[in-house]
Amino acid sequence: MGEGVSGGATEQGNRGEGEILGGSVSGCEVVRQRLIAHHEGELATEERLQVEAHLATCEDCTREAGLIRDALGRVLALPVPEPPAGFWEDFGATVRRRIAAEHPPRPAPWARVAAWLSQALRQRRIPALAAATALGLLLVIGLVRTHRAPRDLPPVEALMISEDLAIGQNLEVLENLDVLEDVEVLERLDLLRHLDRGRRPRLS
Amino acid sequence: MRQPDLEVIERVLAGETAAFELLVRQYQQEIYRLAYRMTRNAEDAKDLAQEAFVAAYRSLGSFRGQSRFSTWLYRIAMNLCLNHLKSATRQDPSEVDGTLADLRADSLTALLTDERDRALAEAIEALPPQQKATLTLRVHQGLSHKEIAEVLDCSEGTAKANYFHAVRALQRRLQAFREAE
Repeated sequence: MGEGVSGGATEQGNRGEGEILGGSVSGCEVVRQRLIAHHEGELATEERLQVEAHLATCEDCTREAGLIRDALGRVLALPVPEPPAGFWEDFGATVRRRIAAEHPPRPAPWARVAAWLSQALRQRRIPALAAATALGLLLVIGLVRTHRAPRDLPPVEALMISEDLAIGQNLEVLENLDVLEDVEVLERLDLLRHLDRGRRPRLS
Repeated sequence: MRQPDLEVIERVLAGETAAFELLVRQYQQEIYRLAYRMTRNAEDAKDLAQEAFVAAYRSLGSFRGQSRFSTWLYRIAMNLCLNHLKSATRQDPSEVDGTLADLRADSLTALLTDERDRALAEAIEALPPQQKATLTLRVHQGLSHKEIAEVLDCSEGTAKANYFHAVRALQRRLQAFREAE
């Protein structure tokens, strides 16, 4: 198995990342673990100075540092052959043709509900506290969903977990349900309720 | 003045689907180059890059703006490239040999007049896919280790380790070349 790396992996042996021996970086093995980070300017000032102090006196490590610099410089300079004339026009045309055959993308259902809730809150058609609760739940759902790899998401069943969300009791909300006509969760949408269940919403 | 990616995405999701072309034009060269560096084959790179944009279009509704759009797009493209490489290595060995021969004679090799550059290019081709991916994203796309971890769906420590091993492999290749001179 390869050596450890500056960044968290434990190298062979007993030295972890950033461990300074006896108050100073010593030993070629320790320095070489840091040469890549040093080249990329990622070492803290003290560590950088200690590595450089070691390099000033060690030909072997200096040679290693030079190899790393040379290798990364050459990699960076490796070209990508220029495509032939007309390539990008053809590329764009192919992408356009393919996406024209796709269904237009829509925001995820939970995002559409969140957008509606935000609008309804701005227009004061639903109580602020209920809307804030709903938005908070939808934000959590959004964060959870975001960690998935980008792919078509299954229909959001967000409001299965939001028993406190209710819309229908507010007549103005009902009148605006056409905003949600293509929201898949509508079928599962519970009515928005006040958190204080004894109070009826005011119709503005 | 270029419109921010999020604004373009919102326009597309609002029904102005033609606006997606702005994103294609903005990133097509980057994604193509990324795919080329992973596959070393122009035709494959073109197909993979086009597929990446189509996949991004399909999934656009799931992009929440918590990372840069480019990072999200790199993830799609890199997944396609890695799957492509995986399926290529499962091919019949005689076909793989043919592919390797193409690589040696490919258009990149023809551009490299310096033997050390050729040696390095070969060394990169010999890297395990995850190490090659990490190297490409770090050196050519300038991503941080954290962003690379996001793109490759691994921990930041794994991303750093892959990068370390990739660079060390190239360093050893250069060293061997120098010793042979």
